[in-house]
Amino acid sequence: MSFFSDHPKARWALPVAAVGVIGATALTVNQTANADSGLPSRTAAQLLADVRSANVSSLSGTVVQTSDLGLPDIPGLGSSGRPGSASSSLTSLISGTHTWRVWLDGPTRQRLALVGSNGESDVIHNGTDVWLWSSADKSAVHHKLSTDQVRAGSAAEHLPSGLPSEVPSTLPSGAPRTPDEAAAAALALMGKHTSVTTSGTASVAGRSAYELALTPKDKTTLVGSVRIAIDSQEHVPLRVQVYSKKLANPAFEVGFTAVDFAKPDARQFAFTPPAGTKVTESDEMAARKGDANAGPTPIKPPADALARMQGAPTVVGSGWSTVVVAPFTLPTSQQGAGGSAADSTAQLNGILKALPTTSGAWGSGHVLQGTLFSLVLTNDGRIAVGAVPPDQLYSALAAK
Amino acid sequence: MSAAEPVLADVPERGPGGRVPPSRWLSARLLRSELRLIAGRRRNQMGLLVLAAVPVLIAVAVRLSSPREGRGPDFLSSITSNGLFVPLAALGVELGLFLPLAIAMLAGDAVAGEANLGTLRYLLTVPVGRTRLLVTKYASLMIGALWGVAVVVLAGAIAGIALFGTGPMLTLSGTEISFGSAVWRVVLVSLYIAAGLAALGAVGLFISTLTEQPLAATVALMIFTILSWIADSVPQISWLHPWLLVDQWMAFGDLLRDPPFWDNIARGLWVDVAYAVVFGLLAWARFAGKDITS
Repeated sequence: MSFFSDHPKARWALPVAAVGVIGATALTVNQTANADSGLPSRTAAQLLADVRSANVSSLSGTVVQTSDLGLPDIPGLGSSGRPGSASSSLTSLISGTHTWRVWLDGPTRQRLALVGSNGESDVIHNGTDVWLWSSADKSAVHHKLSTDQVRAGSAAEHLPSGLPSEVPSTLPSGAPRTPDEAAAAALALMGKHTSVTTSGTASVAGRSAYELALTPKDKTTLVGSVRIAIDSQEHVPLRVQVYSKKLANPAFEVGFTAVDFAKPDARQFAFTPPAGTKVTESDEMAARKGDANAGPTPIKPPADALARMQGAPTVVGSGWSTVVVAPFTLPTSQQGAGGSAADSTAQLNGILKALPTTSGAWGSGHVLQGTLFSLVLTNDGRIAVGAVPPDQLYSALAAK
Repeated sequence: MSAAEPVLADVPERGPGGRVPPSRWLSARLLRSELRLIAGRRRNQMGLLVLAAVPVLIAVAVRLSSPREGRGPDFLSSITSNGLFVPLAALGVELGLFLPLAIAMLAGDAVAGEANLGTLRYLLTVPVGRTRLLVTKYASLMIGALWGVAVVVLAGAIAGIALFGTGPMLTLSGTEISFGSAVWRVVLVSLYIAAGLAALGAVGLFISTLTEQPLAATVALMIFTILSWIADSVPQISWLHPWLLVDQWMAFGDLLRDPPFWDNIARGLWVDVAYAVVFGLLAWARFAGKDITS
């Protein structure tokens, strides 16, 4: 083209234009919010009813979870060289961004895969078998469910049950893993403490969705609001965002980036431990079933370090500013608890020791100021947790 | 990536109009001579030998050592079950430095090397337009990227299969796939990595048009690569990571899941295309208007 021969400098406009087009495209693709998708308006109550009546038994999709809980960096996570190399470990859920692949087929078959960089952890539930697979150490744990447990519901439903009226994400294993679980947890918090409104529509995973906004009436809590995006057709929650009063972006977000409501291939739920795998048969499910019958305990930690909490917790306050005070001793490394449990114990000890110290009329200890919750660990063996600033925890500790 | 080509399609040929080459944008004869040049250079042959030596070294080392659980490069502990993990482990190791270095060498020679030797002038007297010359140079870089990856994979596959056999491959999801589909997965991994290296080649080609010192171009591209890796490993600038060329390179492991996980692969390919387009155009803008003095 003679134009470029006459104006050689004009050639540079092309790469500049390419950068512009690519940048604009990337930003548009990442922009998920859209103003009006033409959906008929629905009230909050209608939406909740929709959710209750939702009848989705099968789906497959990708879930991305991001959290910015203001926790200190966890030592040991990047220790094996490449960043994120441990990100497929199930204990590393509490920080950063995580990608899950989810397959559901009725109450008896689910599969959950935590995608890490060149690693994967899977939870596969098929009938009476629950397999936990970890590619990092090529190990599998096998739980055998009794038939009444299978009838009672899915393994996934066991996870969020009994979530206390504190922020669900304080425990790594209690963190909601699918939008479904997270919404159930948030809906359980409602009542006189929360105002529930609809806040328009959103586009999540390419589907149009209604947004439900839960705003605490309590002004002392750290939680700014909880937003739940509900699919306009299937009425299942597609995304849950928890906003902190300290941050502009969601402090915790879990949502689908791709979702398909068709029945997944049966192959996804078949798991046979491959040759060379360390298989651990676990009888823990039976033992825990006994615990579950004893009554609704506020926290049901798995067999990891937090299980060393002893004694009954005290609950101070109500609603969003509930503070739980419990006796707590620093866990020591357990033998025979499995590699990941020992790892998480060591990590937990490291974190707790690195926390800033604090003292007051209630005593002294370490304090963790997160974006959604605070935690105080006293030197006399108590722990106080709540979705409130540390001051509230101090007064709760002093009140005891 | 060849995505730069349609964008250049508006630019006319400046060669004599009589002869219409088989491909308008790629001179087959020029490409052939370019590839012959690349293959004939002794340093390139030595480079390929080094690339091929790494998987062989890995395979022999793993064979000789007692099998144990250990930390190391990804896929290393899986080698004993299937020989095809040797090329995967080798790719993971070489992707950090050796493969980008190979591309940097080729890119340095591509334009800066010719300018340094004084042969670029003569090349421009060939009745082939500058744009077409540049496209041919880039095509040879892409072939070079594929070449380098293929050498690593083939050497690794031969060494691995010879030492560890052709058992079923264990995916990251804990399922086993047959040897045949495992071969396909390795081919996909190779293509994905070659695409990333080809995008790096576009950056190298642009740098190569800026200087007449091939060594400077090579070093500059290595600095670019290493800076990208460093930036990618600093969590405080995580907003920048999606824009880095190397960010999704290691995502090739996603192809070894069951079913394969395409999200990061697709993201990586988009970044590759974007880099190839932008830097291809930059190289074109620079090269087509450049005064060739030597």
